[in-house]
Amino acid sequence: MAEKFHAELASLKGDVLAMGCLAQGMLHRSMEALRTQDAALIELVARDKQRIADQDHEIEQKCLRLIALHQPMAKDLRTIAASLKTITYLYRIGRYGKDIAAVVPELADAPHAGGLIGIPQMADIVEGMIADALVAFEREDLTAIRGIEEREEAVDALRYSILRECLACMTENPETIARCTNYIMIARYLERCGDHACKIAEKAHHMVTGERIEIR
Amino acid sequence: MDNSTILETRDLNLWYGQKHALIDITVRIPKKTVTALIGPSGCGKSTLLRCCNRMNDLIDSSRITGNVLFNGEDIYDGHADAYAVREKIGMVFQKPNPFPKSIYENVAYGPRIHGVREKGALDRIVEESLKGAALWDEVKDRLHEPALALSGGQQQRLCIARSLAVEPEVILMDEPCSALDPIATGKIEDLIIRLARNYTVVIVTHNMQQAARVSEYTGFMYMGELIEFDETSRIFEDPGEELTENYITGRFG
Ligand SMILES: Nc1ncnc2c1ncn2[C@@H]1O[C@H](COP(=O)(O)OP(=O)(O)O)[C@@H](O)[C@H]1O
Ligand SMILES: [Mg+2]
Repeated sequence: MAEKFHAELASLKGDVLAMGCLAQGMLHRSMEALRTQDAALIELVARDKQRIADQDHEIEQKCLRLIALHQPMAKDLRTIAASLKTITYLYRIGRYGKDIAAVVPELADAPHAGGLIGIPQMADIVEGMIADALVAFEREDLTAIRGIEEREEAVDALRYSILRECLACMTENPETIARCTNYIMIARYLERCGDHACKIAEKAHHMVTGERIEIR
Repeated sequence: MDNSTILETRDLNLWYGQKHALIDITVRIPKKTVTALIGPSGCGKSTLLRCCNRMNDLIDSSRITGNVLFNGEDIYDGHADAYAVREKIGMVFQKPNPFPKSIYENVAYGPRIHGVREKGALDRIVEESLKGAALWDEVKDRLHEPALALSGGQQQRLCIARSLAVEPEVILMDEPCSALDPIATGKIEDLIIRLARNYTVVIVTHNMQQAARVSEYTGFMYMGELIEFDETSRIFEDPGEELTENYITGRFG
């Protein structure tokens, strides 16, 4: 029984990782769509919204079943707890991807101001944080999330500079107000995605060590 | 030894003939708490429990070194009386073992031996003990029926009432639920938690969830040694020893 349970636990982690890839893909595609105005990408992200909701449900179900049937202890229990929390964060990351993709058409009428003023750079860091938090979770390798706090700070700083640049842009040229408001919102979403990556890293840390940390 | 420790072993070793069954066990059992002992079969849980009230005296081949202190006094000291010890430190076994007498007589048995003769006093003790064991409401109208007519779970609670009747301080329980169905088990678990308001309970259990549910402290034993002793939440959420982790997560052998 214990053997079967541990096999199921391993497969649960695989499912969480797969959901992570989906969430990350949604965010990545939304950024690609933002850059390229590729309508097909927007379509893909919109479609993934249902898939990620389904995965969220399925994994939650699986966790509840494992708890009910095996009443796990210690690290096994922490793994399930970390999985339950992680899928919530992943679901939100996916949703932000969808929300970003949804505003892309509104930005179609003119070229991007200031080469998207730091948004792609911010997205790169955030995607890296998510990837590393997932590696830490999947491989139980906490070296992957070392320094995630500094990256989180870099993301915050970028968001602030994007905000200032947008303000300057809007004051200078009121026609950019609608466009810049969207940039500000996207930067806000990306920052939230970075926060979620940190929460995933915290859960991975708790799963591996039994100790709770707070990343900022 | 501090005030909150009621029972303590110091470098306790026990042999059954050549078999070294307990190895350097040093543990302090806190007063008015539930302490659980867990570990694989044959690791020495029952042996340790029996050492705590000198039940091992009854096994000829057994030999011990080290100390077992009850309220600071060595129970293996030449002056200590094994019978007196077994009253202060009662024991409940895996299989309920009521005497083939009435419910009333089972509980009154101990006090009678102590010379309580007066019927009113005995009645009071029987009622209090049965209430203490959460059995009174179920048997108050049939106190003179045979104890063996009770269900398994009721018999186990009767055995607990019997041990309460002689005013113990500690109650040792050796897998008290393993012969019971889940509902009877649930009642005993509730009872154990309630007993800890007035008594100290040490319970051996094979069921880790049971240990997690009822106890405040847990000791994990392995091959005669006490590997880890800590707050139950710590043992089950994040044990300090890898052996403990492997045992409670079923990664053993
Ligand atoms: N009366 C006895 N005579 C000889 N060996 C015994 C006796 N009782 C127990 N043992 C041995 O001592 C070890 C510990 O037994 P026990 O305390 O009953 O373990 P547990 O309760 O953890 O299953 C086991 O190896 C068992 O075989
Ligand atoms: Mg035993």
